[in-house]
Amino acid sequence: MTNSKRAEAEPRPRADGFAPIRDYAAIGDGRAVAMVARDGAIDWLCLPDLDSPSVFGALLDAEEGGSFELRPSMPYQVERRYRPGTNVLETTFHTDGGVARVVDAMTTAGPGLAPFRELARRVEGLAGDVSLSWRIEPRFGYAQATTRIGRRLGIPVATAGARAVAVQCWNAGEAATDQVSIGGSLNVRAGESALIALSAADQEPLVFSSREQVEARIDATARAWADWSGARDYDGHWGEAVIRSALALKLLVYAPSGAVAAAATTSLPEEIGGERNWDYRFCWVRDSAFTLGAFLGLGCAEDAHAYFWWLMQASQLTKPRLRVLYRLDGGADAPERTLPLNGYRASRPVRIGNAAAAQLQLDTYGELLQTAWLYATSGHRIDRDIARRLAEMADLVCRIWRHPDAGIWEVRSRSRHFTQSKMMCWVALDRAGDLARRGLIPDRHAQRWAREAQAIRDFVETRCFSHEKRSYVRHPDSDELDASLLLGVLLSYGDPRSDRWAGTIEALRRELGNGPFVHRYSGEDGVEGSEGAFLTCSFWLAEALARSGRVEDAVELMDQLVELSNDVGLYSEEVELATGALLGNLPQGLSHLALIGAALAVTEAMAA
Amino acid sequence: MNAWGALAGGFAGTLVLTTTLRAANELNLTRMDLPFLLGTAFTADRTRAKALGYILHFLVGLVFALIYYAIFVAIGHSGWWLGAVFGLAHGLFSGTALVDTLLPLVHPRMGTRSTAAPSVALLEPPGFLMLNYGAQTPLVSLAAHIGYGALVGGFISLAS
Repeated sequence: MTNSKRAEAEPRPRADGFAPIRDYAAIGDGRAVAMVARDGAIDWLCLPDLDSPSVFGALLDAEEGGSFELRPSMPYQVERRYRPGTNVLETTFHTDGGVARVVDAMTTAGPGLAPFRELARRVEGLAGDVSLSWRIEPRFGYAQATTRIGRRLGIPVATAGARAVAVQCWNAGEAATDQVSIGGSLNVRAGESALIALSAADQEPLVFSSREQVEARIDATARAWADWSGARDYDGHWGEAVIRSALALKLLVYAPSGAVAAAATTSLPEEIGGERNWDYRFCWVRDSAFTLGAFLGLGCAEDAHAYFWWLMQASQLTKPRLRVLYRLDGGADAPERTLPLNGYRASRPVRIGNAAAAQLQLDTYGELLQTAWLYATSGHRIDRDIARRLAEMADLVCRIWRHPDAGIWEVRSRSRHFTQSKMMCWVALDRAGDLARRGLIPDRHAQRWAREAQAIRDFVETRCFSHEKRSYVRHPDSDELDASLLLGVLLSYGDPRSDRWAGTIEALRRELGNGPFVHRYSGEDGVEGSEGAFLTCSFWLAEALARSGRVEDAVELMDQLVELSNDVGLYSEEVELATGALLGNLPQGLSHLALIGAALAVTEAMAA
Repeated sequence: MNAWGALAGGFAGTLVLTTTLRAANELNLTRMDLPFLLGTAFTADRTRAKALGYILHFLVGLVFALIYYAIFVAIGHSGWWLGAVFGLAHGLFSGTALVDTLLPLVHPRMGTRSTAAPSVALLEPPGFLMLNYGAQTPLVSLAAHIGYGALVGGFISLAS
């Protein structure tokens, strides 16, 4: 992160009530994630879990969604950072009268009877005298449920069915309530502090805490995050970005099950005002190899173990077939529907659920077998049942690789024979063969796997390579390009230093690239409108450059890419080239996974 | 009615219950695996966990059969149909309080709804009626427990 990113600045004005996507920082507790804008407003929080309906949804409907505002009552400048090594956010407001810092945390540990979920906001006076106001407008059920405001033991509470939140405050002014909100105002001088705690309950009574308990939990939460990040194993050139990415990824790990959500939000648009708005609060099998690779590469053995167990448990119901994605509770269905919300800057529809769940995406088999291969070759044991399932999966790939599919990008146009899908089928059979040779999975059909892998290779090499472009192409007999082909380099489809890969990398840079940015593909995808450059593809390009021997180019690209995050080091899915604005859901797990993977690979290549 | 009949019924009932659940696994009806859940309370090695879990599951099956027997003696009635009713109640209790609520609290490797970062859970919590393990899980579990109860009740009433 550069100093320029940390510099004080007036908050960017909201457009029709919406802060820029770039302005959001994420805090969480391993179950839920809150999105905090630079102006101090929490505009997104789903409770009790990150895939539950929202309580604060102003991110998707500035008028009706609900939020938790906390900001100075006078003009101010703002600077932010995460407390080093943690997911505890510090927002510092500078006014003419003084300086105040807001410490935001979703608590994870600490003394006393802890609430089911707790969001704590501590206001610390650093200099002079600062007046602030706060307003909490809870809107349960994506603002569709009836929310009632009342008091219990004098404490303001908001309820809707079996869910409730209580608002406790200390030195934060008298909490006033009306039919829709709870709010107050406060004044802090240097050395003073105030505290506002939002305690949430789901199907159980609310828990009221003392100030000392909440303060202690904030500090314990910060220590727990610092201990976790301090144990990460990376001392390369991009250490700050890698550790921040690891912390962002950890926010997306659903601790009760070990599942990893693709992002913390839904329906942040890939095009402002457009319809490319998707719910990413699910666990994609596509991300599994990157996730496990990142966990192993950063020394998160426990997380890797838990994630692999979860993945194999979740996919058991559909074995040997894989769903594209699974819910965080392990369920296989994610029916898609739209909500009557206005959408981020009128980007509609607002979707929950994801229809991609039912698509055929052949690449998932390659990614899952690569995941199993990584797991097994890093010293973990694969038991007999899972070994049998992996072998059955390879058998399935032999039967279905000739089918057209929706591809890694989940196109909603007609199915095609996507080159990247075929390459990943080859990866699936190659890794299965290697596991069989090591005696880790049954080898009864290993010869068939080898035969079919060769057939896939013949198909890709004869039908999916354009001699005119000197590049692999998006699908057979076309001249469209696809940045996901870079995964062939990353997952060792062929020799990364071959002429074909060198030509492909050049073609992708030439036709899909723009400076450090890379678009996903050329050609149709069945959805109206356009989209920004896809950040993950830029990191894949950096890693591909390193693996193909162009280490200096890779380093240069990485240096550019780590500058593209927002002020606290987070990435969304895409970037709008004309404005540099972040687009899509945030924080985007795949972007951070790709950053970690690229940093590890480039660092290794630099050392070689 | 005697305790030996209860133990014989408990063994036969657990055999049927375990086989039913395993078959349901293979048919992709549920991800619930009670021996695995029990065994992983003691070891993180999946293979050993399953072996240990089967032994524990049979012991638990015998203990529940003795509880059925005690209730039959207390009320002075027994029979396969009454055992089936007990099995239904047993299945509901398992799916709600026992496995959904109590097991995650004592299982060192199972997450609960309160597990928070940076902790890591190796096993997902079962959820209400164990629905996290698949939509068909409550039906499979209830059918298996009714079968268990009917066998226990039948064996107890036949034992003289």
